[in-house]
Amino acid sequence: MDFSYEVSRSLAACEGAILVVDASQGVEAQTISNLYLAIDAGLEIIPVINKIDLPSATVDAVRGQIRDLLGCTDDEMILASAKSNIGIDEILEAVVRRVPPPSGDPALPLRALIFDSVFDTFRGSVVYIRVVEGTLREGDRIMFFHMGKPFDAEEVGVLEMKRLRTGELAAGNVGYLIAGVKDVHDTKVGDTVTSASRPAQSALPGYKEVKPMVFSGVYPTNAEDFEDLRSAIEKLQLNDSSLIYQPETSTALGFGFRCGFLGLLHMEIVQERLEREYNQNIINTVPNVEYRVTKTGGDVVLVDNPSTMPPLGEVAMVEEPFVRAQVIVPVEFVGNIMKLCMDRRGIYKNTTYIDPTRADITYELPLSEIIFDFYDKLKSTSRGYASFDYDLLDFRESDLVKLDILLNGESVDAFSSIVHRDKAHDWGKRLCVKLRKLIPRQMFEVAIQAAIGSKVVARETISAMRKNVLAKCYGGDITRKRKLLEKQKEGKKRMKQVGRVEIPQEAFLAVLSMEDE
Amino acid sequence: MASLYVHIPFCQRKCVYCDFYSIETVALMDGFLDALEREIVLAAPRGGGATFGTLFFGGGTPSLLSVAQLGRVMSALRGAFAISRNAEITLETNPGTVSLETLRGYRSLGVNRLSIGIQSFNEDELRFLGRIHDAPQAERCVGLAREAGFSNVSIDLIYSLPGQTAVQWDATLARAIGLRPDHVSAYSLIVEDDTPLARMVSAKLVSPNPLEAEASLYEQTMGVMARAGFEHYEVSNYAMPGYRSLHNSAYWSHEPYLGFGPSAHSFWTGRDGEPPLRWSNIPALGRYCDMLRGGEMPVASRESVTRTQLCNERIFLGLRSAGVDLSVLEREFGIPADRLALADALVEEGVAVLEGTRLCLTPRGYLLCDEIAARMMV
Repeated sequence: MDFSYEVSRSLAACEGAILVVDASQGVEAQTISNLYLAIDAGLEIIPVINKIDLPSATVDAVRGQIRDLLGCTDDEMILASAKSNIGIDEILEAVVRRVPPPSGDPALPLRALIFDSVFDTFRGSVVYIRVVEGTLREGDRIMFFHMGKPFDAEEVGVLEMKRLRTGELAAGNVGYLIAGVKDVHDTKVGDTVTSASRPAQSALPGYKEVKPMVFSGVYPTNAEDFEDLRSAIEKLQLNDSSLIYQPETSTALGFGFRCGFLGLLHMEIVQERLEREYNQNIINTVPNVEYRVTKTGGDVVLVDNPSTMPPLGEVAMVEEPFVRAQVIVPVEFVGNIMKLCMDRRGIYKNTTYIDPTRADITYELPLSEIIFDFYDKLKSTSRGYASFDYDLLDFRESDLVKLDILLNGESVDAFSSIVHRDKAHDWGKRLCVKLRKLIPRQMFEVAIQAAIGSKVVARETISAMRKNVLAKCYGGDITRKRKLLEKQKEGKKRMKQVGRVEIPQEAFLAVLSMEDE
Repeated sequence: MASLYVHIPFCQRKCVYCDFYSIETVALMDGFLDALEREIVLAAPRGGGATFGTLFFGGGTPSLLSVAQLGRVMSALRGAFAISRNAEITLETNPGTVSLETLRGYRSLGVNRLSIGIQSFNEDELRFLGRIHDAPQAERCVGLAREAGFSNVSIDLIYSLPGQTAVQWDATLARAIGLRPDHVSAYSLIVEDDTPLARMVSAKLVSPNPLEAEASLYEQTMGVMARAGFEHYEVSNYAMPGYRSLHNSAYWSHEPYLGFGPSAHSFWTGRDGEPPLRWSNIPALGRYCDMLRGGEMPVASRESVTRTQLCNERIFLGLRSAGVDLSVLEREFGIPADRLALADALVEEGVAVLEGTRLCLTPRGYLLCDEIAARMMV
């Protein structure tokens, strides 16, 4: 779900698509969803079964699946192994023969579809375009349909391994455009490039404003790194305009950002890029969805951070986003999958069979129930065979409450979550137990409590540290002792001080990995 | 003030818990002393400008030295270094190895402090630890020390042996205090790597005392010693007023020292404005002697101590002993301002007190010394 909009725009720039199915895995949930996008876009599909060299390849079974999916004949499918160089020539031939040439009159007013963009620090936004009608030349005064601002086409060319400047792109060409665009938000995927002096009547169809679905707080582990983090997120967003963020504060974690992602996968990618590419030492809070809260006074507010949830007494109704999830799994695991979905407040819709061994199960689920560890559970209860995709449906009312975690009586806002009332006690208990294991002993006793409003639903205690001192320290011990303490100190640097309690980074992620313990 | 340390690497029999370097072939003592004299001569230029206020003979068992042998070493040291006239000169003594005559001999050579390794008065415990003496011998040794003219006598004790009860430890403490020592060192039994005790523990023949028990015994010790009039001036050290170990205090006040003999450690100013150095000698007699025969200093490892490391040493050594003077720390190392806030938090927690600008740990704080040090360090 995360990237289907972008996939759909890339597909809109093409005439054909190669559907690659792994001979040992067969058709998976994302195979189907991406295929439907391609069919919707009117593309010529060339089915290819890859990895036929693998001992676990089941070519006939996969043929059957593809037959059912596409309604094509076996001759139309190409058997290949990229690794062993089998079928590659056939594929290339098929592309030449079967995929229709682009249509589009180069004399008409310019209409070019933006299907991707990258940010170049020196040149600004570099948009990747498919010219649908008309011709784009360097020096032309152009305009982005939905943004309205005019720019000059500084450089135009095609995309090979690097950019190759050609000076012109005509209807049917795919290439790039550099127009001195310094603000990445002026170039949106799906938008139409047209001439400022001779604009087209209408934009190309299919443009959508993508909305974030999953939110989490991103905080620097060390408060003094806040500016570095801000700078890193800014730079990251230049190449990922679907990421939204704004500053927020947490009494527990200090200054940070509330980030909005297209989905879980998007969130994971951003987090990893911040850590690896931008070298940030970050704490991510529990990811959450956006809730629609109707207050007792009648106002409706959108809550994307559990700690901004209005107090219990002011809440009349809470609505949460629901999705339609599709899980494809071998038949022997159907029971496990259904149990998992039921545990997650799922509403069973349908089961069909892709072939005698594979079931395609549809459930309606609250998005909040699948945004963490659902995918891992799915994989582990199906020995890795299940695949899964989901689409947003609508907002529905649920009995949801805010669960707070208190340490020695003080609520730690970064641990707050919004859960279904029926699950609150169990969830609260598990979270308290987990935190008791992750938070090291302090110089005093620590009471961990889970509460809904003022009602405590679970409690654990961490006893105070009793002794932490080395008996002997003479001349020969000093270096060794110092190194030991320096190591302890390094460990402490990764901790966050909340009130008097030192909390390790891992504790903030505790909620993300609540295995059955 | 500077200090000297000499390591005598011989023991009659190794105790199960000890990880200090020593061998049992006492016959090699004279050969060792030849090498030691060479080391002292080679080190003389380095220690040339300093005046040494303390000298400590450790090991091993320094009391295996005959009076004549000790005489050799003292001459070599006095010849090479300026040792102050009223320097504190300590010799570690094993009760199983000395006679009144020997002790008188040591006294006449200038040794003015005796540190007697008793560890326990409980015969079972003594056997477990592998000590070569029994309780009556230990008591007699203290008496002999006084008779020989030592007015500064210290006793070493070990507590928290596996399964040791508060009653058993109380008995040892009472007997030790009954001998009226001027100073007591009481250490909890630590399982050090590569010792027979460590091997017994991993073979599950012995299980170490639980942390709770150890903590209680420590608290008990502090109580008993305080009531007996001793000042608790370091995590494991108690002294009657005026009888603190000056040599060990030098370690804890972060002062320089030169060490001699295999495995000995040193902490000295660097040459020509370089940072201070820590180095340690080869912990093997054979190689130690070989290197010195070749005219080489028998150094195994060395490190230059950076300013941050010095600051951290000052902090944890201070917290263990006389406390940390925050204004001095700020002046010398420029510590971050939040350390001062931390000091206040520690006082509020009841684990420390502020005496002017000096932060000292309370008895409760001593128990959590390492935790506090890790917080304060930069």
